[in-house]
Amino acid sequence: MPDIFDSNNIGSKDVEKPVINSKNISSQNGAQGKTKSLKTPEDNNRHTLPGHSHNPLTAFNYYPDKTKFVNQDSEEKIVLVLRRHPITNINWILIAFVMFITPSFFTLISPFDALPGGFQLVLNLVWYLITTAFILEEFLNWFFNVNIITDERIIEVDFVNLLYREITDANIDQIQDVTVEVSGGPRTFFGYGNVLIQTAAEIPKITFDAVPKPDMVARIIRDLRLEEEQEKLEGRVR
Amino acid sequence: MEQLFNLEGPLLLIIKIGVILFLLLYIVFAGVVTRQVRVMTETINVGFEKPIQLFAFFHFIFAVVVFVLALILL
Repeated sequence: MPDIFDSNNIGSKDVEKPVINSKNISSQNGAQGKTKSLKTPEDNNRHTLPGHSHNPLTAFNYYPDKTKFVNQDSEEKIVLVLRRHPITNINWILIAFVMFITPSFFTLISPFDALPGGFQLVLNLVWYLITTAFILEEFLNWFFNVNIITDERIIEVDFVNLLYREITDANIDQIQDVTVEVSGGPRTFFGYGNVLIQTAAEIPKITFDAVPKPDMVARIIRDLRLEEEQEKLEGRVR
Repeated sequence: MEQLFNLEGPLLLIIKIGVILFLLLYIVFAGVVTRQVRVMTETINVGFEKPIQLFAFFHFIFAVVVFVLALILL
């Protein structure tokens, strides 16, 4: 990657180990010219890393403890696990709430009220079944739409619906361009956005939708690209 | 069952058949969901697999229970 490789830095400390103080994480933004790398477990215990979490439902987990995925290489380390920001779930939660309380109003509808008690009970239960399916589908859609960044590649798991899923991956050294997209009030306020990754792989573009801290994600990918370049130079490529 | 012989009887019969057919299809759907959840938890493992699998399983059981209730009550 000639655009990120600076031959003047060969052998310098920054390139050998693209890692510096974690204080820079909070102050980062995509516009700043001087970019600094993030902390990694090589510096200290991963539990103290900013962005590291033990919550399996977290939308941003830096160096997660328990995460594994299919086809993971034995030496491959997961750097980051991302999901859509939790606030993006608010729409379906509100719809589910409305669906949940709707049967209370069924008796106000005269044809329903005229039905025998058994029919009313079963129809209410059918309604709650549909509500449960809706909640399950929406939750799984959020939970399994995962973006994983490892030290070797980026993976996008798309859980399109209950019957269809799609998994895309691209090697880190195939990444050509990373774009951060934060638009609109809610995204600016809650600090989430899209990260568009242009690759030289078969799938030309991988999108991380509505992920928290998109600037930090872009920086982590940048650091990994630098690290990969360095590994190539040193002949340490797996 | 007496109501089936009332004026509303045919309508109730249609509702009953419709509900039972729907619930049969729903049981198949719930089974597929349970299977899909298992496949997904094998695809990606983040330490929250058991609760999700349990939820999907209870959803399937709930569907079966409602189907049996429908057979009894309708």
